[in-house]
Amino acid sequence: MRLLVVEDNEELARLLIQGLAAEGHEADHLTTAAEARSALTTTRYAALVLDLGLPDGDGLSILREIRQRKDPIPVLVLTARGGLHDRVTGLRSGADDYLVKPFALEELVARLEALLRRPGQLLGRSLQVANLALDTESRQAFIDDKPHVLSARETAVLELLMRRKDRVVSKKHVEDQIFGMSGEVASNAVEVYVHRLRKQLSERGAKVQIHTIRGVGYLIAEEKAG
Amino acid sequence: MIWLKSIFSRIIFLHVIAVLITAIFMPLVLYWFVRSAANDLHDQAMREQADLVAHHLVLGADGGWTLDLPPPLQALYSQAYGRYAYAVIDDGGRVLFSSLKDQSPLFARDPRSPDHAFLTTRSGDAAMSGVSLEKEISGRRVWVQVGEDFAHRDVIIDDVVAEFFKRVGWITLPILLFLLGADIVIFRRALRPLLSASEMAKQINPKRTDVRLSAESIPKEILPLVQAVNQALDRLEAGFRVQREFTADAAHELRTPLTILRSRIDTLVDRKISKALHQDIEGMARIVSQLLDIAELETLSIDPQEKADLRAICAEVAEFAAPLALAQGKDIALSGSEASVWVHGSAEMLSRAIRNLVENAINHSPPGTTVEIVVEDAGIVTGSFAQPLATRISSAAGTIRTLLIVFNPPRFRPRLGRPICGPG
Repeated sequence: MRLLVVEDNEELARLLIQGLAAEGHEADHLTTAAEARSALTTTRYAALVLDLGLPDGDGLSILREIRQRKDPIPVLVLTARGGLHDRVTGLRSGADDYLVKPFALEELVARLEALLRRPGQLLGRSLQVANLALDTESRQAFIDDKPHVLSARETAVLELLMRRKDRVVSKKHVEDQIFGMSGEVASNAVEVYVHRLRKQLSERGAKVQIHTIRGVGYLIAEEKAG
Repeated sequence: MIWLKSIFSRIIFLHVIAVLITAIFMPLVLYWFVRSAANDLHDQAMREQADLVAHHLVLGADGGWTLDLPPPLQALYSQAYGRYAYAVIDDGGRVLFSSLKDQSPLFARDPRSPDHAFLTTRSGDAAMSGVSLEKEISGRRVWVQVGEDFAHRDVIIDDVVAEFFKRVGWITLPILLFLLGADIVIFRRALRPLLSASEMAKQINPKRTDVRLSAESIPKEILPLVQAVNQALDRLEAGFRVQREFTADAAHELRTPLTILRSRIDTLVDRKISKALHQDIEGMARIVSQLLDIAELETLSIDPQEKADLRAICAEVAEFAAPLALAQGKDIALSGSEASVWVHGSAEMLSRAIRNLVENAINHSPPGTTVEIVVEDAGIVTGSFAQPLATRISSAAGTIRTLLIVFNPPRFRPRLGRPICGPG
């Protein structure tokens, strides 16, 4: 599966494609809205990186067309316009994420990967953070390719965190996703599961760290060396 | 009339003067008209009576005069009634007939006018007023005098004139005052479109250049002025728009080259140079963002009723800033109220302000620090790392009152020490 980068600036597009390739993502490049429309109807891409300011039209119109035909392709919008109105319009038109120029290449890659880690997307089946992997279908966790047994809820919490690697998952989101409608949730239930996860992963040599962002939520990231 | 600032007060002032002058002169003029009309009526009545007397005057064949008045006329001129009197005088001034007891003429000084003359005379309590009318009967000229005693109890026409001020003239003042009141209401109604246009004009400022004066209901005398003001505002708005668009376009145009530059730097092998260049790019990107923010703020109009959940905004900022803090070996936390804290203000602008402060706190605190954002129920956000970092956002009055930003202490002393103020 390839990515599609629609960006009218050739130099920027070349650098983006180089950067994505360095992270293991192959991408095609198109410069106009017309080319993008044609390519998106004939080729199935894993994700679309879409610049809004194209020479022959507005990128938002492509976005609306994609969503009108129920195409679930993850779309990351690139734009020089970062005002509230622009962002709201972009997201309401069907963008999954929004990156305002100038951005760091690693941020682009991180956000794209976060989109690809969503359920049903390219990286959505097997999630990886450092030496920790999670097969979301078999619900099996691996550390250095060795399987490790985690409880169903611990696995669910881990999946939520790994799908948003390097980004905060709010405690409320974890509560809603894990406990759902299953009745009264103890106020410290999520803390208990995260504590258990943290302990087990640490004991089993996972090179990951689950950070607590007090009052907000949790974030999983690769453990820093040293 | 400089002290009368408004058109309305000028109109009312001039109108009051006009009413006062009218209130003085109108009764006098009316009195003059009434008296003149009464005199005319009296004179006409006297002439008709003189004609009637002359009609019954006959010159006999022997040259003698006879006056045979019908009984109703005799009663009218009788001594007993005493209201009317007549006398007939010949060419030589001799009294031929007189209803007076002493057979004297009514008016001793008769000018013997060829047509007629209106005369008055007083005799005792009587105030006789009447006419002397020349008549030619059978080739002989006579003067028929007819008069009415104004002092007689049955004569009221002179009383009407005399009582005019007391009984009728006073009504002019309340009528004029009522008219003045009605005029004030009318002026107010007539000036209402101008007042509403003035209210609209008050809203015009550099952030609200879209406001135009409504030409609806504006009097046609004022319409050219309103249209000219609106045209001037069009030109002003166009000027502001060009200025804003230039700033915004310049910032937009700079963002793509900055992204290219940043991406090129990412590919540099020398990490030391790459890091230094990254810092330069960050500075440039910040300036560009601020230019765009300025362009956006110039058009920003915050609805006074707009509300934002400060707790949710701070949580979002903490989520956003957490990767940045962790990457720098720092931590971030949110504490204080667990529930929503609603304040009046723009969520976007509050978010930008708080994010700016938190990023500054992260960037300027030593590694190992926890940057803490505390949201209080009263709508106050307090941040701390080394020394108090505070933003105060008041919810009591429903508006942002102060934005106090304290950061970058000279030494790291967690939650203690002297606050230092600086830009956010």
